[in-house]
Amino acid sequence: MSGLHDLQAYEVVEGIKQGLFSAEEYFSSVIKTLEHVESRLHSFITLDTDKALSCAKVIDGKLKANEDIGQLGGVVVGIKDNISTKGIRTTCASKILESYVPSYDATVIQRLKQNGAIILGKLNLDEFGMGSTTEYSSYYPTHNPWNLDYVPGGSSGGSGAAVAAGECTVSLGSDTGGSIRCPASFCSVVGLKPTYGRVSRYGLISYANSLEQIGPICRSVKDVVMIMNIISGKDNKDDTSMSSSPITINNKLEKFEIAIIKDLIDGSDDEVKRTIYSASEKFSDIGCMLDEISIKHLNYALPSYYTLASAEASSNLARYDNIRYGFNLPIEEYKWDTYFSDVRKNFGEEVKRRILIGSYVLSSGYYSKYYLKARGLRSLLKLELLKLFKKYDLLIGPTMPILPFKFGEKIDDPIKMYLVDINTVIANLAGIPAISLPVGFSNGLPIGLQIMAAPFEEQKLIDVSYALEQAINIQRRPKLE
Amino acid sequence: MISKDEIEYLAKISKISLTEDEAKKFPEQLDKTIEYIDILDELASDHSIILDLQEIKFDELRDDVVRMSGALPITRNLTEEGFLKGPKMK
Amino acid sequence: MSQVKIGLEIHAQITELESKLFCSCRGNYRDQRPNTNICETCCGLPGTLPIINKKAIEYSAMTSVALGCSVPDKIIFYRKNYFYPDLPKNFQITQYNVYGFSSIGIGGSFELDDSRKIRISRIQLEEDPGRIAYLEGGTNARNSALIDYNRAGVALIEIVTEPDFTNPKEVRLFLNKLSLTLEHLAVCDTLLEGSVRCDVNVSMNGGNKVEIKNINSFKEVERAINYEITRQTNMYKRSIKIVSETRHWDDRKKITFMSRSKEAEHDYRYFPEPDIPMIVLGDKFIANIRNHMPELPNQRFDRFVSGYKLSEHASNILINDKKLADFFESILKLYFSPVEIANFLITDFKSMILDDAESTGYLKNMKVKPEHIAELVKMIAADEISRITAKDILVKIFESGMLPSEIVNDSNSLKIADEKILMDAVESVFNTEKSAVEDARTNHEAINFLLGKVMKYTSGRADPKIAMRLINNKLKKPNA
Ligand SMILES: [Zn+2]
Repeated sequence: MSGLHDLQAYEVVEGIKQGLFSAEEYFSSVIKTLEHVESRLHSFITLDTDKALSCAKVIDGKLKANEDIGQLGGVVVGIKDNISTKGIRTTCASKILESYVPSYDATVIQRLKQNGAIILGKLNLDEFGMGSTTEYSSYYPTHNPWNLDYVPGGSSGGSGAAVAAGECTVSLGSDTGGSIRCPASFCSVVGLKPTYGRVSRYGLISYANSLEQIGPICRSVKDVVMIMNIISGKDNKDDTSMSSSPITINNKLEKFEIAIIKDLIDGSDDEVKRTIYSASEKFSDIGCMLDEISIKHLNYALPSYYTLASAEASSNLARYDNIRYGFNLPIEEYKWDTYFSDVRKNFGEEVKRRILIGSYVLSSGYYSKYYLKARGLRSLLKLELLKLFKKYDLLIGPTMPILPFKFGEKIDDPIKMYLVDINTVIANLAGIPAISLPVGFSNGLPIGLQIMAAPFEEQKLIDVSYALEQAINIQRRPKLE
Repeated sequence: MISKDEIEYLAKISKISLTEDEAKKFPEQLDKTIEYIDILDELASDHSIILDLQEIKFDELRDDVVRMSGALPITRNLTEEGFLKGPKMK
Repeated sequence: MSQVKIGLEIHAQITELESKLFCSCRGNYRDQRPNTNICETCCGLPGTLPIINKKAIEYSAMTSVALGCSVPDKIIFYRKNYFYPDLPKNFQITQYNVYGFSSIGIGGSFELDDSRKIRISRIQLEEDPGRIAYLEGGTNARNSALIDYNRAGVALIEIVTEPDFTNPKEVRLFLNKLSLTLEHLAVCDTLLEGSVRCDVNVSMNGGNKVEIKNINSFKEVERAINYEITRQTNMYKRSIKIVSETRHWDDRKKITFMSRSKEAEHDYRYFPEPDIPMIVLGDKFIANIRNHMPELPNQRFDRFVSGYKLSEHASNILINDKKLADFFESILKLYFSPVEIANFLITDFKSMILDDAESTGYLKNMKVKPEHIAELVKMIAADEISRITAKDILVKIFESGMLPSEIVNDSNSLKIADEKILMDAVESVFNTEKSAVEDARTNHEAINFLLGKVMKYTSGRADPKIAMRLINNKLKKPNA
C-alpha cells in the first residue's frame, strides 16, 4: 500500500482500528518515505527503527486480540532531541551530550507511549534549542523540504521538516521563543505553543525554563487537538504544570473579535504582508470581527527575551561538566576546574555566546540594569496583553516577519538571527498560547499566520484555526522526488 | 564596550575556555548583543518590579514521602566502594 | 581584648524529614553505600525538575518563629550559581532576600540570657550538596576525587545572625541554646555527624571581615574563633593590614588557612528559580504553625519549675538534654512524682549514662524504659528498697532490661523489715563484737559501727531504722 504516510494521525488510528491497513503496513510506508528523503533533509539525529517496528507489530497483535490500542495506536511520532527518552540517546544536538542515553522518559513521552504512539526517533534542532534555523546543530543542519537550499526554521527544525515531508505523522517540538512556530511556518505545518504550564516540562531539557513549553507539530489542526489532549495536564513531577480542560474540534465557530497586531505586519517583508492580509480577509468570511491594534511595549520584547533566556540558559547549562554523564574524557591529570572548562569547550559557538551573555546580565554589576529590567518589561507586556484580551478574543500577525531564507544568510551575525524571532517571543514572555497555521506560499516558500489567545484559551485558537484551515486549502505536501 | 578582560572573566565564571577563533570574534559579537539589549535600561527603574511570577498553593506541594525507584541514574566511573570518580580537587 | 564582632551562618539539616528537599529520595543518607540514595532529580540529570517538600517549609517556618523571625505570605527560591564537583547541577537552589521577596524567615532575635539578644537577619531553606571523600593523606595522594551524591538535595536550614557576638563564649552559649531549640522543635538532631555546620565571620576594631568556613561541628566553632582572634591580634601588633578574605578551618591541625581558588571570584549570579513557582503560604499557614509549635526550651523550663515544682538546677539539667527531659516526662505519666524522679534521673541515672551521653540515641537504644524507673522510684518512696539497692537494681536493668520487681524477686533484695529476722542479726553481731558493744554503751559513734555490721550481715537489706531501734533497745538491757 502506498500513501499511508500521507495520512493524518486521526486517519491512521481510524484506519488501523477499522482494519483498512495494519500498523505495520502504515509503518513501512512511513519508513519508505523516510529512506527516500532523509539523506537530503537530515531531520533526524537518532533513529530507533527496529524498536519502533516491533511496537507497530505489538499494536497489530493487540488489535487481533481485541485489545485497546490507545487513542494514538500505531501513530508514528518523532521527538525533538531535547526531550528525554529512556534508552534512546538524547543529544540536544550538542557534542556535550553525544553519548547521553537517559534513564527516564519525559512525562510527555510516557503519555504518548501509554496511548499507543510509536516513537520513531529523535529530531534535529539548534543546539539546546538556541537558534532559528538548525544551523547551530552540532551534527548537521536540517533542510527545508519545500526547497532544500533553505533553512527549515528552528529550533525544532527537524520536527517541522519531518512532519512536512511525511517522515513521521506528527512530532513534538519545544518552544522557548518561537521554536515550534518558526519551523511550522517555514515548513507549512501546524505548530502550537501551549499556555505556559499546560504541558509538563518534566524531561524537557531546559534552555530557558520560565519561557518554554513542549507542543505538537502536525499536518492538521485536528491532529494538534489529538496530541494536545494526550500531553496536557497537571504533572506531579513539574510544579509549574497545571490542569486544563480538554479541547475539541467544533464545526460551528463563534463570532470572535480578532485584532491584527499592526506593528508585526509593518515589520514584515512585503510577500509576507500580502499573504497575511489576504488570509485575514477570510476571517470576515468565517464571520469574525477584525480590528487593528499595536502593542506599546513591543520594542522591548526581544531584548527582554534574549536577556532572560540567556540568563536562564547560563545557569541551566552549568550542569554539563561531564562527571555524571557525557562523553569519554579521562579525568586523570586534570584539576577539576580545568577539566570543567575543557569539557565545556564542546559547546557550540552560539551556546557559548548565550552562556556568556547570560552570565553577564546576572553578574553583580549588571543584574539590575539588564535582568531586572527585562523581568519588569515582561510583567508589563503580560499586563498589556491581558488587557487586550479583555477586548479581543484573538491577536493575529505573521508568525515570521520574513520568508524562509538560505543557509548561511544570517549565521555570522547573531543580532540578525535574533531579529527573526521578534513576532514569536511575545507569547513566551507572556506565557500565552500561540499557533502557527499555514496560509500561503510565495515563490514556493511557506508563510504562516500566528494566532495568540489569552492563557488557557487554546480552544479559541483551535476553533478559528480549524475554520481557517477549511477555508484556505493549502498544498500540504512538498514534492521531494 | 565589553573589554577582553570582561569576556575572560565571564568565561572564567562560566567555566568555558574559548578557542582562539572565538576569543577573536566574541568581543564584537557580544558587544553588539549588549548594545541591542541596552534599550532595556531606558525603562524606568520602577519597571523592575517582578509581577509575573507563577504561584502555587502550599497545600498543593509534595508530601514528605520516600519513593525510591529501582534503577540508579549514575552507572559509569564508579569505584568498587561506589564512589563516583571526578577530577582531582587540588 | 580589642573590640571583636562575630557573626554566624549556621547550616542545620532537617534530619526529621523522610525525603529530600526536592525529590523523594531518603532524607537520611547516612550509613549507605555511596551513590545509592540518588535519583534523576538529585543527580541533576537533564530535564529533571525540583519538586519541593511541603514538610520542609513547615519545619523551616517553625524554626523562624522560634527565632523570633517573621514569616512572609509568599516565598520564592533562588539559584546560587557556582561550579563545584559536589554540586550536581552546578547551582544550588536556595533563598535570597531582594526586591521585595524574602526567605522563609526575616528579622528575628534570640535571647542569649536575660540581658543579651542576638539579632537574626534571616533564615532560609536550601539544598545540601553531595560530598567529596578525602582519603588519608589528602587529595594530593590521588589523581581523582571520590564523589558521593547520597547527601545531595537534603534539606538545610540556614540561619544568619547579625555580627552581634563580642566573644567566643557568647557564641558557644548561643550555639548550645540553638541546638536545644532545634531539638525541641524536632527539626534537627544536632548530635548526628554532619547535621550542623557553621561559618563564622570575625572582624576586629572595625576592620575587615574575615570569613571562616568549613567548621563541621559546633564544638569546633569556639576554637576556630579563638584561633582567628589570636591571628588577627598578632597581625595588628605587627601592623599587618587584615584583608577581607575567606579562610577554612582545618579540623585536624586546628588552624584556619587561606582558601585557595575555590571560586575566589564569588559572583553567584542569583536569580529567581524558574522551576519553582512562588509559594503562597496563605494566612492560615502561619497561624497553624504558631498553634502547633512544639514547646520551646524556655517554656519547658518554666513549666518544670512552676508545674512540677522542680528546682531550677534540676530543671536545667533535664532540659539541657532534651532526650532526658522527654524520658522524665514519660515516666511521670506512669508514676507522678516529679521531684523524686527528677532527682533520681539527674543523680543516679545520669551518672550511669554519662560516658555514653555524647553518642546519639542513647535513650533510644537503651534497655531502661520509663516503666523501669517509675517502678524503681516508687519502691524507694515506699521504703521497700534503699537508694543503694536501687542503684544496684538500675545496673541490672541496664544489663537485662528486666523490671525492678523481677530483679528483686530474683535476688531477694527487698529491705528486711521483719523484726524477728533482724533480731537474729543483731544477736549475732552482739555475740561477735563484744568490745564494740561495751564501747557503744557510752560512745554514740560505736552504735553506727554496730549498725554497719548488721547491714553487712543482711547484705545491706536490713531496714536501717528498725535495726537501729533494735540495737538501742538491746544496749539498754544490762549484760545483753
Ligand atoms: Zn533524589
